Amino acid sequence: MTSAGKQLSNEFLDGWRTRFLETGDAQAVWKARTAYVDTEVLEAHAASLLPAFPEDFALLAVGGYGRRELFPQSDIDLLLLSRRPVIVSSAKTAISEFVRHLWDAGLRCSQSVRTLDECLVLHDGNLELTISLLDERLLTGDLALHAQLRERFARFLNTERKEIMRLLCKATRSRHAKFHQTIYRLEPDVKEAPGGLRDVHTTRWLPRLRDGEVPPPLDPHPAAHVSSVRTFLHFRAGRDQNLLDFESQDALSAAPFSPWHDPAEWMRAWYRDAHSIWLDIQSELEMSEKLERSMLANFRDWRSRLSNTEFTVSRDMVFLRNPADLDVDPELPLRLFQFVARHGVAPARQTEQRVSAHLSRWARNYASHPPQAKWWREMLCLPSVSLAMRSMRACGFLSAILPEWGHVEHLVVRDFYHHYTVDEHTIVTLESLEELANAKAGPTLRFVPLLEESKDELWILRLALVFHDLGKGTGGNHEIESVRLAKEFLSRSGFGEVESATVMFLIQRHLDLSTLLQSRNLSDPETARYSAALNSTEERLRLLTLMTLADINAVNPSALTPWRLEQLWRLYRVTQRELTRELSDSLEPETPPVSPEENPLLAEFLDGLPRRYLFTHSMEQAAAQAKLYASAQEHSAALQIEKRDGFYHLSVVAHDRPFLFASVAGGLSSFNLNILKAEAFHNRHGYIADAFVFSDPGNNLELNPPELERLRSMLRRIILGEVRVEQLLQGRPAKAPPSRSGKVDAQVSLDTATSDAATLFEVVAHDRPGLLYALASAISRSDCNIEVVLVNTEAHRAIDVFHVTKRGAKLSEADTLQVRQALIDAAIGG
Amino acid sequence: MKKIEAVIQPYKLEDVKNALKAIGIDGMTITEVRGHGRQKGHKEVYRGQEYQVDLLPKVKLELIVATVRVEEVVQTLSAAARTGKIGDGKIFIYTVEEAIRIRNDERGEAAL
Repeated sequence: MTSAGKQLSNEFLDGWRTRFLETGDAQAVWKARTAYVDTEVLEAHAASLLPAFPEDFALLAVGGYGRRELFPQSDIDLLLLSRRPVIVSSAKTAISEFVRHLWDAGLRCSQSVRTLDECLVLHDGNLELTISLLDERLLTGDLALHAQLRERFARFLNTERKEIMRLLCKATRSRHAKFHQTIYRLEPDVKEAPGGLRDVHTTRWLPRLRDGEVPPPLDPHPAAHVSSVRTFLHFRAGRDQNLLDFESQDALSAAPFSPWHDPAEWMRAWYRDAHSIWLDIQSELEMSEKLERSMLANFRDWRSRLSNTEFTVSRDMVFLRNPADLDVDPELPLRLFQFVARHGVAPARQTEQRVSAHLSRWARNYASHPPQAKWWREMLCLPSVSLAMRSMRACGFLSAILPEWGHVEHLVVRDFYHHYTVDEHTIVTLESLEELANAKAGPTLRFVPLLEESKDELWILRLALVFHDLGKGTGGNHEIESVRLAKEFLSRSGFGEVESATVMFLIQRHLDLSTLLQSRNLSDPETARYSAALNSTEERLRLLTLMTLADINAVNPSALTPWRLEQLWRLYRVTQRELTRELSDSLEPETPPVSPEENPLLAEFLDGLPRRYLFTHSMEQAAAQAKLYASAQEHSAALQIEKRDGFYHLSVVAHDRPFLFASVAGGLSSFNLNILKAEAFHNRHGYIADAFVFSDPGNNLELNPPELERLRSMLRRIILGEVRVEQLLQGRPAKAPPSRSGKVDAQVSLDTATSDAATLFEVVAHDRPGLLYALASAISRSDCNIEVVLVNTEAHRAIDVFHVTKRGAKLSEADTLQVRQALIDAAIGG
Repeated sequence: MKKIEAVIQPYKLEDVKNALKAIGIDGMTITEVRGHGRQKGHKEVYRGQEYQVDLLPKVKLELIVATVRVEEVVQTLSAAARTGKIGDGKIFIYTVEEAIRIRNDERGEAAL
């Protein structure tokens, strides 16, 4: 401190601080400081400005000072209004003297000198001036000049209202974008971040610009709370500090006026208020942006293509067509949020408010009738599920359908690594997966095929991500707690045994790959074996790898470094290579899952099937196939076709013979059915258990029920060798690629190292009707046996992995080359 | 004073940190880095698509020690990071002219 004025200012500050710490009342501080500053400014004006500008001049307080909201360390915004242009050289000395006077009194001043005309100009660069004039207050000077400003500014607002609102909305949206549109940062900026003071002020300015007046706030508490926090931060730091960091949170929760003395609880209260401010600013932005548009544009919007009988899409927002239906139809919000997730269009704030208004009803309804597995599965398959989750959280609906969510709502877990609350982190994991799906370049690109290969299980991965940290809200080991919560949810929602097991596996193991890639030598075969044992199947490995990637990416914007991505990819590849070994017959379960005494038929059927079979089938499914096995023993072959989750599933159990797998694949293709996945296993008793998942692009089976019976009959005849598949396939058209760049060049990679019992061929080729038949036939023609096959289709790209033997052993070098060439010819041909 | 810079395998970081702590060395800077030594990059094919693999993840440690302790620190670090295989990493030693503690302007070894 260099002057008596500054000392005096500090004495005042100390007094205000002492009183503030007892009550937390920011308004008392504003009032006292504004009165003090007014006196100082008037003194400085009398001493330095008045002699230089005795007339045609007014001194105005603007911005926060104008509305008498001076925080302890806020700058003093002043406008020196002049009737005529000021000659800079003559005014410079007086203004410098004025500023120095204030500086000596401990006040930092931001001043501008303008004429009336200069105050009434609008462009992108001076929006701040226009907005600050909304809160102007005359301190001293020419009353007539000030009255003129008020009158002309009112006319100016009238003329430029729309443009000012447009610029203010644009600036607000861009400020929100800088903070990633979230209020849930663990260390928020209380002034600029979403849900902060700037939003409080904007929710006052927008209605004033739009309607000419500011309605009183429905709930003044959130704004008072945020103001109190900023006041505390200023007192604590002794400067214009607005970052609510961990140390400040500790200090605030320990403050005498704080109702919560646990920092985590204190922050939960902070997020509740910030959330309320965030919702208000969203409503104001929507209302103001709506006025910007022409009536014709609005009319066109109402006729948007996406609109249906229940929902209207207008201005990129979803509205309810008949809001009264919410009173009678408890399923309506479930359909609403599926609509949001399907089309990637957010509900209007008005729509969210309508859903919120019924929350207690939803909570009662869904407590007794929770959404079932079918709804969750459909929802989690949709492309913009994170948007729907955000909206469901914003209106409280997520906790109504998933009460476990309440455990992590606004929950802070400090570890100096996470940037977001637990609930926000969870939603960001879902967004990370959506970003990955759209990746066109960059270091994550190589993970995109994993996502494509996992598209059938994507909903499982997303469900696991929703639950993976819920246990953080219940205490204890969070992985175990999250699994417990998931188990209860999966059971009450009616999920199947195999999918539930995968969800719980992912939750329980969601940190394992992160730990492995930092602590294990990835070049050591033991690491690969350990990781393979942990993941048990390639499918699970893919899902866990993607989950790890999404989880790291959602921790903070810089956590997913190229270093971590490289390590994760290396771990994935070494584990994947190791896992291909478990497809081999030589890797049977160490202990049979069922003893012959317990279930002789099932035990005989499972005898010799590889470990993978048990990982990918529930005991219920195995028992069903054992019945087919019994039937096949009597009739040489048995098959079953059923439709589940929109796809057809064919199970075939038959006595093995050359060309059997190829023939079944060809038979399906001859019906124009699209094979999405296929697996072939055989047991020790000479029987194969093949599984095909296929779609029916023409809906032929559904529209013509007799066709399904014809397919069954045809397949039975094909399996028994009564029909030649080549004739059935003649003249089938090729599937067109989506674009010229979508053309896939046929490639055959071989792997002789990973399996002791078989040679592996991986074929990547352009998919076409009969491709699988052609490939499998090529192997059979080479006098080789297909032990295991894994078939996958990504759009028009087919990825088929064959485990091939000849006379019970791996292929010789000559045979390998011959089969490889045969596969290339088959992949290219047709 | 000497600056010791070591590039090691990531999974050896905990062992190295513990070994250095056991001889009283607590302060160090750790960076996640990627690079390669004599071996050139290679192409990897996954699902029919090619990926260039030329930079392997490593961890870089930087620490400043009094000259008299250099040999002890290098031996400890080296023993903890060694597996005997290619890729164990390297250690570089530089001479440091001066160290200054910003808080109180302490200089030399007292600032370490």
